[in-house]
Amino acid sequence: MTSDSQALTTTEHSPVAGFAHDASGGISNPILGMLLFITSEVMFFAGLFAAYFASRAAVAPWPPTEFEHTLEAFGPVFPATIMLVISSVTCQIGVNAIRRDDRAGFIRAIGITLVLGIMFLLIQVFDYGLLYSEGLTVAAGPYGTTYYTLTGFHGAHVFGGVIMLGVVLYRGMAGQFSSRHHDAVEATSIYWHFVDVVWIGLYTTLYWLR
Amino acid sequence: MATTAPALTPAASGYRSGLYEWLTTTDHKKIGILYVVNSFIFFFLGGLLALGVRTELAQPGLQFLADENLYNELFTMHGTVMIFLFIIPMLVGFGNYVVPLQVGAPDMAFPRINALSFWMLPLAGTLLFLGFATGGAAAAGWTSYSPLAQDRPLGSVGPGQDLWIVGLILVGTSSILGSINFLVTIFKMRAPGMTLFRMPILVWTVLVTSVLVLMATPVLTSALVMLFIDRNYGGSFFDPANGGNAVLWQNVFWFYSHPAVYIMVLPAMGMISEILPVFSRKPLFGYKAFVFATAGIGALGFSVWAHHMFTTGSVYLPFFSLMTFLIAVPTGVKMFNWIFTLFRGKLTFSTPLLFALGFLSMFLIGGINGAFSAAVPVDFALHDTYWVVAHLHYVLFGGSVFGVFAGVYFWFPKMTGRMLGEGLGKVQFVLMFIGFNLTFFPMHALGLSGMPRRIADYASDAGWNELNLAATVGGFLIAASILPFLWNVFVSLRSGKPAGDDPWEGNTLEWATSSPPPPYNFDHLPEIRSERPVFDLRHGRAGSGH
Amino acid sequence: MSSSPRTRFAPGSIWAWLLLASIAVGLVLAVVTDSVGALFPPEAATAQGREIRDLYTIVFIIAAVIFFVVEGLIVWTVIRYRRKPGDDELPPQTHGNNLAEIAWTVIPTLIVAFLFVISWQTLNNVEAVSAEPEVTVRVTGSQFAWTFDYLDAGGTSVAKQTVANGEGGVLALPVGRSIQFRVHSVDVIHAFYVPAFLFKRDVNPDPDGRESVFELTIEESFAGEVLRGQCAELCGLGHRKMTFEVHAMTQANFEAWLVEAQQSPSPAPSGPVGTTLQLAAKDIAYDTLELEVAAGEPFAIEFDNQDVPGITHDVDIRLADGTVVANTTEIDGGSSTTYVYGALDAGEYTFLCSIHPVPSMTGTLTVN
Repeated sequence: MTSDSQALTTTEHSPVAGFAHDASGGISNPILGMLLFITSEVMFFAGLFAAYFASRAAVAPWPPTEFEHTLEAFGPVFPATIMLVISSVTCQIGVNAIRRDDRAGFIRAIGITLVLGIMFLLIQVFDYGLLYSEGLTVAAGPYGTTYYTLTGFHGAHVFGGVIMLGVVLYRGMAGQFSSRHHDAVEATSIYWHFVDVVWIGLYTTLYWLR
Repeated sequence: MATTAPALTPAASGYRSGLYEWLTTTDHKKIGILYVVNSFIFFFLGGLLALGVRTELAQPGLQFLADENLYNELFTMHGTVMIFLFIIPMLVGFGNYVVPLQVGAPDMAFPRINALSFWMLPLAGTLLFLGFATGGAAAAGWTSYSPLAQDRPLGSVGPGQDLWIVGLILVGTSSILGSINFLVTIFKMRAPGMTLFRMPILVWTVLVTSVLVLMATPVLTSALVMLFIDRNYGGSFFDPANGGNAVLWQNVFWFYSHPAVYIMVLPAMGMISEILPVFSRKPLFGYKAFVFATAGIGALGFSVWAHHMFTTGSVYLPFFSLMTFLIAVPTGVKMFNWIFTLFRGKLTFSTPLLFALGFLSMFLIGGINGAFSAAVPVDFALHDTYWVVAHLHYVLFGGSVFGVFAGVYFWFPKMTGRMLGEGLGKVQFVLMFIGFNLTFFPMHALGLSGMPRRIADYASDAGWNELNLAATVGGFLIAASILPFLWNVFVSLRSGKPAGDDPWEGNTLEWATSSPPPPYNFDHLPEIRSERPVFDLRHGRAGSGH
Repeated sequence: MSSSPRTRFAPGSIWAWLLLASIAVGLVLAVVTDSVGALFPPEAATAQGREIRDLYTIVFIIAAVIFFVVEGLIVWTVIRYRRKPGDDELPPQTHGNNLAEIAWTVIPTLIVAFLFVISWQTLNNVEAVSAEPEVTVRVTGSQFAWTFDYLDAGGTSVAKQTVANGEGGVLALPVGRSIQFRVHSVDVIHAFYVPAFLFKRDVNPDPDGRESVFELTIEESFAGEVLRGQCAELCGLGHRKMTFEVHAMTQANFEAWLVEAQQSPSPAPSGPVGTTLQLAAKDIAYDTLELEVAAGEPFAIEFDNQDVPGITHDVDIRLADGTVVANTTEIDGGSSTTYVYGALDAGEYTFLCSIHPVPSMTGTLTVN
């Protein structure tokens, strides 16, 4: 049990968080919680992917002739993908920075990650507009429905990640993180990497595997 | 910690706090009680819906339902409410109350998320029932097969089905958050000395259940989301009229809903596994085998979903038949372990034990009649008939509900500091046991002779009249059995016998603190050297048999 | 920790005897009311159904044995090991027995393996489809009607029977011949279920119109029998009425029946009619719910069913209290016909589709 707990603030010093820094070693409660949450999100996407592959197997041709060239691997999603991958690298740079108490480096890196995340979203929205004008809508048969459902929920997760990065950035600028206490940063970065991995899977499936 | 913490209220009045406390609490014990009370409210509502169904079916001819669609709404909401708003949260409630105590922790890992998980439920329930007020509640069965669940003429027109979808997404989110809470609590917050294989069995069953919830519920969420998109945005997932695949809904839906049945029964099995040893005065027989059997059921549970779809003509039958048969093996292991816990024990027939024994007998029947459906050709005859209604109620009511009542009688003293009356408890048990069997046993015969499910009325010359009437009488008997229960709770809360810390001579850590426990649970913990730390303390090491 | 006085536990012997007594009473009741027979499916009308019933019997025997052994063990244990009042000594604290665990893992595995193998064998027999079935019937399910098309060798329908809301045609079938069923739905999922066949198959809608195929042969001894059939997958408002009848016939009778059924049933207008009204149906709705006609003279309705084939409609006329004034033969989607009605007295009548009266196919016919 920690003995430096005069002020009973949440997270850091509550009796339950006494376990969080884990005298016995191992990951802390919030990080384990995030890993489990990500497991559930993986299963959510698994359901959507299963529907995608089932639809793809049942409908010929796939892509349908009218959409044969609509999803282009080197279209706007290509720079978006590059940005998202780089943002995972910068995110990890930020985590490593705060682990060695380099607060300035941490804030820089997370700031860049946040910007890259927002740009990904903007490109995605722009791309949706282009696709809509080419006739690929949610109601455009299984091809359209699965495309927008998969990428849309991914986008929603990116948006959630952007919020988390924003909160982490704010708290970091307010000096709330140190090398000893930065669970929220670790958890956010794990989530951000997950979002990136899902995108790699989506990009490969929707744009390459087709 | 105690020297610098503010003064704490005495344990005896710890639970009699004001409304504000109950609305804002993050204490797992209060949240557990909130879950239990909320779940009972939905149990009664779901029961009323069932009485509506049974009243109409008591005799051939449409007696009461001018709007035929209302019948479809009744059984749809009955199933939905019982599964998602009663049994799953009820077991979560017991887990919430008991698990942190049993592992010697001061609370769950994420107390505020715990509170959020609970409060999503009354909201979800409200949304579901709002359907009745907005043109008709969901009426496509709790299984909501597409295309009947689609927004099309003679399908599911109107907001009722959408409210159902959103309500269930809320319930699912609540469940998933709860499962994360349980897993982190169990893995990370056990008291010193409590290795995994010294955890109480209830904690093990909650662990496995939480894994199932974590992995399976999101798949239901994805199915619900996809159906919502179909209904409201012209989507083409499950609607053949749009190029979609109707059987795909069934696959995604049952991928969750089969593990769901284990979610609905494993914690009840855990509760039974705590109660049988206490009232036999010996340990659970085969603790480790039991743990492996539970894990086995959890794992196998993911491989059988298409046994709900044998008659679609679209599944690989032998695989799912084999896995379904195999899941009987770990279930049988548990049954024998329970029986041999009783064997050569010294049994005291308090109400918790009566309900536990009821569980054993009724779950045995439910498991056996399920095996018939595992034989695929037999399922061709039995699927979608009243045989299945019999099966599901034997395992879920005869099993889980009896387990819930066993748990209520067992842990009520811990939660409230007072004993429930034994006389009224026995009256409830007898009425409920007789009523339950009278309702559901005849359904085996009804299904075998060809009565399909989900029909508001049946031909008067089909030979089903007497059995349906018997089933309705049984249903009302079950309803009647709730009355002594409610009276028991009401009277005992006011003037039940004071329970003391350990009225049952229990085995596990919750009996090592006051009834009800103080907000932080334990003043001090006994040494933990086995799965029965309080038993060890009471009898010294010589009593543990190690 | 303080523990509570032992006297709080009431002795349980009376409950043990009560339990035993209720089981005994239950068993006696079961035998006396011949309920045991009710625990079996009906006699099977098909060769495949016989196989299924035999499989059921084997499963039942094993199930009964397991039930009596295990339940018997529970009951015996509960009675034998009651705690005697005042006995405070702990019983032997047996933690387990590995040999027992192995035994009750291995033996049930063998039992279920056996059950799996025999059920797989039966399944293969039941699912066998012959290359050249002797009779082929296409079954179309719709809300809430069955359409049975008898197909010739080239797959063309030579005769059709429609059963709507449980009334209309019949599914006539010959005994002793292999009958291939090809089922599909035009709207939601239904299920083709005949309890005496011990068989059902889901009737699924498919964007490409794919059919689900199975084969049955009716036993000779069932010639002349009428068997009940019913939709067994919730399909909406009219699910409970979506019944049909199977008329099993000798081969000779079936051939004669088929010849009769091949004649087209469309009614021809006869005699002078006064007004001819126009009515169409689409998306399971009439295009108008208000019709007017003069009293005292026969009239006709030119009815165009614009729904897809498989969705049948008709235009019946009833009084406000439900008394049937005119019953018409339903027509399939994609076809039209002229219904001729006798003269009506002035007043308000209801015209409706007898298969899909709600929500959009019940209207008012004003006769003045």
